[in-house]
Amino acid sequence: MFLVGLMQWWYGRGWAEEASRIGRRIKGAADFFSIGQLFKTLFSPFRQISAGRVGGSLSIQFRAFIDRLISRIVGAFVRSGTILVGLVVLFGHLLAGAVALAIWLILPILPVAGFILMAIDWIPRWM
Amino acid sequence: MDVNRLFNYHSGRAYRARLGRQLQPWIIVLKVSTVATLLVGVGLLFAGFAAGWAIFGLAAIPAMISEWYDRGLKHVVHPDVRQTVDDMLETQLLAQLPEQPNPKDIARAISSSKSGAFFAVRFGIGGGFIEQIVSDNRDDSVVIFERAVQLAKDFDSLICSGVLIVAILEQLPNRDTLLGHLQLSEDDLLRGIHWFHRLEEIIKHQESLPKSPGGIGRDWTFGWIPYLSKFGTNVSGTPPVINGVRDEIIDSMMASLHSGRGALNLVGPTGVGKTEIVTELASRLMNPSEDVPQGLHYRQVFMLDASRLLSAASEKGSLESLVQTILSEAYLAKNIIICLDNAQLFFENGVGSLDISSVLMPILEAGRLPMILTMDEQAYLRISRQLPSLASGVQRLSVPATDEFGTFKVLEEKIPVLEYRFKVIYMYQALKEAYRLSARYVYDIAMPGQSISLLESAAEYADNGIVTAGSVQLAVERATGIRTTTVGTDSERDTLLNLEALIHERMIGQDRAVAVVSDALRRARAGVRNQQRPVGTFLFLGPTGVGKTELAKSLAAVYYGGEDSIIRLDMNEFVTEDDVTRLIADGTEDPNSLTARVMKQPFSVILLDEIEKAHSSVLSTLLQLLDEGILRDGRNREISFRDTIIIATSNAGSDRIQEYIHRGYQLEQFEEKFVDELVDSRLFHPEFLNRFDEIVVFRPLIKAELLMVVDIILKSINKILDDQKISVSVTAEARQYLVDAGYDPRLGARPMRRVVQRAVESTVAKQLLAGNLKPGESFELNLDQVKSVIDTKQRADQLMADRLS
Repeated sequence: MFLVGLMQWWYGRGWAEEASRIGRRIKGAADFFSIGQLFKTLFSPFRQISAGRVGGSLSIQFRAFIDRLISRIVGAFVRSGTILVGLVVLFGHLLAGAVALAIWLILPILPVAGFILMAIDWIPRWM
Repeated sequence: MDVNRLFNYHSGRAYRARLGRQLQPWIIVLKVSTVATLLVGVGLLFAGFAAGWAIFGLAAIPAMISEWYDRGLKHVVHPDVRQTVDDMLETQLLAQLPEQPNPKDIARAISSSKSGAFFAVRFGIGGGFIEQIVSDNRDDSVVIFERAVQLAKDFDSLICSGVLIVAILEQLPNRDTLLGHLQLSEDDLLRGIHWFHRLEEIIKHQESLPKSPGGIGRDWTFGWIPYLSKFGTNVSGTPPVINGVRDEIIDSMMASLHSGRGALNLVGPTGVGKTEIVTELASRLMNPSEDVPQGLHYRQVFMLDASRLLSAASEKGSLESLVQTILSEAYLAKNIIICLDNAQLFFENGVGSLDISSVLMPILEAGRLPMILTMDEQAYLRISRQLPSLASGVQRLSVPATDEFGTFKVLEEKIPVLEYRFKVIYMYQALKEAYRLSARYVYDIAMPGQSISLLESAAEYADNGIVTAGSVQLAVERATGIRTTTVGTDSERDTLLNLEALIHERMIGQDRAVAVVSDALRRARAGVRNQQRPVGTFLFLGPTGVGKTELAKSLAAVYYGGEDSIIRLDMNEFVTEDDVTRLIADGTEDPNSLTARVMKQPFSVILLDEIEKAHSSVLSTLLQLLDEGILRDGRNREISFRDTIIIATSNAGSDRIQEYIHRGYQLEQFEEKFVDELVDSRLFHPEFLNRFDEIVVFRPLIKAELLMVVDIILKSINKILDDQKISVSVTAEARQYLVDAGYDPRLGARPMRRVVQRAVESTVAKQLLAGNLKPGESFELNLDQVKSVIDTKQRADQLMADRLS
């Protein structure tokens, strides 16, 4: 009864819960990096520096345009960097999640596998 | 009846719950052994032993079991379709129940569950207590389970300890006595179930919130706000409130802010939670749900701090310039909502405030920067009069005080915060008592702030860290002097039972008057009076010097803690219509007005002397006071007189009383007729007389009573002489002489004190100076000594009168 219950849960609700937990973790990471938002605002002026309309002579307007351009370039640079780091972290989470789910599936057979490996007396060379 | 019809002990869920309970003590061991086995296995492998694989593999077993416990057994999930008790019971309760549970087993399960602990602490009803009062008859469990299933369906929740407690109590024959003893009703327990579920919901909600809402790049599109960060407080990080009490107002605020209408003004009395509403809005914008408009997502609400601004720029010009810089910063940042809490500080000159409306109004009127102002009604009216554009250009949202249901919802959510701050635990009874007493005794602040402020004060009177109804009562008693509890100590019980005797130690005769006043007080303290009226309202009628005022004073001295507890108004000072204003003036204008004095001292005797002389408008004002125990003061605040005894005295008809007595009538024989005559005389309106609980007629004192009055006066003189260790007595003839000399048919016993004091004190003084009387000695005055003093005085008075004539 105990073993049946454990196995039932492990390959049923337990695995599903683990999958959703990994999903939540990935979503949390995605929310943290807000990659979608960063893409949407990729060329927005960074921190509103030099943002807004400027009146005056052509030279003043030109200088404001250059300032705004620099602000947008800085913004795009910072955001692109963050998007890159975010993607790497997300990929890492995805990979770790997939591995965790796979380990979850094989964990119950690990004791048996361990005894088999002991029986055949196999030890990796690098050890 | 078969209990297993409702409770399936062998269901999978029940089995897993019991298994979880059995595993619980071993979980740490399992976790440690997982790590240890893994380490040993890997170590052996590195050492070249293949046995390491077997040990490494074995680590999976404790790991899987502890994982199963954590995620599958600690809280066993409920089936989607819930029919039986085992489908609905909380895991902790389910794990405790035997196959055929009787009510005692259920009580034991309650005592070891988390929800059971909640009810034990909050309501004083623990499983241990229930175990003592329930039967061990299994048939009773069927009734309990049936009711529990019904309740859980009604609540759309699980069966927690609260549900079981209600179900158990409902089938007890003496449940009303029990609940009465605990100062609870069944509705309170049902509310407790809601409270428990809501606290769990709040915890879950908090856990589900992201740590950095909006993500790392959230604010990169928005501007820098260095000045705003320095002079304002970002309230967007506060934990969200989910009580739903202010949803309507918050929805209106969001709609208004989203539509770009600019500024909002929250107007409501102090304590209604205007600031809380702003923080609630801020929190919702920071953790937006679907109902928050997209354009408001992650907007930050900053409260400008008037004191910080003033300390940085105390001159008007520099302050205006600083505020302009801050507001420009907020506008350019594009994600800021500015809140001016207690906005009157920015619109009026005063201590800690400076009028910068010339800067604010153009911004408010332009409506480009979203702003929220908060102010109370008075400030709003005052400022709107000076700045009409504030009323026309800024949208006003009224915030009313919460009703009882709303107040409890707010309190239930606020309690954990207060508990954390004061390191105490609040019982539900304390919440109930705080609501009841604060509504009556806490002025100048509205609900729910009224109750919260009382609960904060009550924390100081916590008993072993638990704030009970008694702690709340004590907080009120200490602050106001009012006795809010029913009779508590033995000494108070004795005082109340012997009130007549204690009053008679100070005054003689007038047994009926003493009895009606004493009865009223006993009714009040036993908790059987109408709480919506004063403790007692009495009209004392009778000639001068018969003890009307003395009774009021005696009552104040014996029960209300001293003669200082008397609030005396000579109504001959309220003879014009304009005097009504003096009666109800606000304490800041006239600290001696009736309302101001009762606010300061709500537990007192109010003596309205010579009531017949007051103007009819004054009497009309007093009608509501006599009827409902409240009077509205100059600021339209309800002042409670419900803990006072109101005694009005009048000499009206005293000649008629004398006449009845001279004709040989006893008081009982003419009292009713006399009152009828008084009504007919139209001196008082019948509706005024009808407002009194009792109209008591005082008769003139007879000689025998006057002799006793002399004794009382002698007693008080001896008290004064006590410092010199001298004791004075008077012979029987001398006492008789003092009565004859001191009694005046027009003034009653009033001259008596003067006469006795003069006779005794003058004689004692002479004896002391002559060396005939030394400290530690007793002295008896005889008739000659008394006569010599009084006759000399009378002769002197006569001589003076002759000379003057």
